[in-house]
Amino acid sequence: MRALVIDDSRAMRRIVGSILEDFGYETRQAGHGREALDVLEEGYLPDLACVDWNMPVMDGLQFVSAVRSNPAYRSVTLMMVTTESEHGQIVRALAAGAHEYMIKPFTADAMRDKLALLGLLPQEVTL
Amino acid sequence: MSELLSRVQEPIPNLLDPAIVQSIADDVWTSLVGDGEVLVPLPVPAPEVTVSAWVQITGPWCGAVVVTCDEPTAKALTECLLRARPPVVIEPEDVADALGELANVLGGNVKAALPGPSTLGLPETGPTPPATRPDDLCRVDAQWRGQYLTITVQGAVPAPHAERNEVPL
Repeated sequence: MRALVIDDSRAMRRIVGSILEDFGYETRQAGHGREALDVLEEGYLPDLACVDWNMPVMDGLQFVSAVRSNPAYRSVTLMMVTTESEHGQIVRALAAGAHEYMIKPFTADAMRDKLALLGLLPQEVTL
Repeated sequence: MSELLSRVQEPIPNLLDPAIVQSIADDVWTSLVGDGEVLVPLPVPAPEVTVSAWVQITGPWCGAVVVTCDEPTAKALTECLLRARPPVVIEPEDVADALGELANVLGGNVKAALPGPSTLGLPETGPTPPATRPDDLCRVDAQWRGQYLTITVQGAVPAPHAERNEVPL
């Protein structure tokens, strides 16, 4: 399985990326939404995109909207991974097309549970 | 502008208990810094030179959430955050990025505890910004691995170069 980790913090990209790699994912990273769209346009189609909300250039909500408006990216599952934890913000993200929502800080166990809910946990990973 | 905001907004001690900030920090430390890593709420003397990272909150309450420690502590925090795949050499930009992300996660959770709606700015790092109003300050003085570390939620921190945006009277 492939994942694209989108966050303006390199530290957070490494944290999320390493958790996903421990679950067997191959990962790529992008520092903001525009850079992530460039990765998709190159032809890298991930099973999962983990998307921060507050980023420079193009924020996570704009990225989610852009991906959802392109039928070529329909297979990409979008999970917001963000500090934005108010109910209204979660509703906005889900309405824009995000499939799941993870609030920072989170643990590897929480990520595993979300992936299991999405059917994106490789079978060899035990719950 | 910041003076006007300070005048009208509810001071942070009326909105946020330091115990909530400590509780948020406990979660952040366990999840991001590492299992068994604890931010102990016992103050130690401040070092002469400190570095800070902060995020601005803009809403019914305006201000910043600021994390402050000394440089070796910031570097040690960075090593912990990057524990899975640490680079061979930790560069200053790695430290700024990691400390900024700590401020970002703390700030996002503090924002959620405040009256909203509010927006969160992007992390900034640099010399510790002054707290402009002592009554609009929520402070957690703590130590991590025995070293000085503070988290402050402080009202209406003037943005860097804010004077350039001031409208002359």
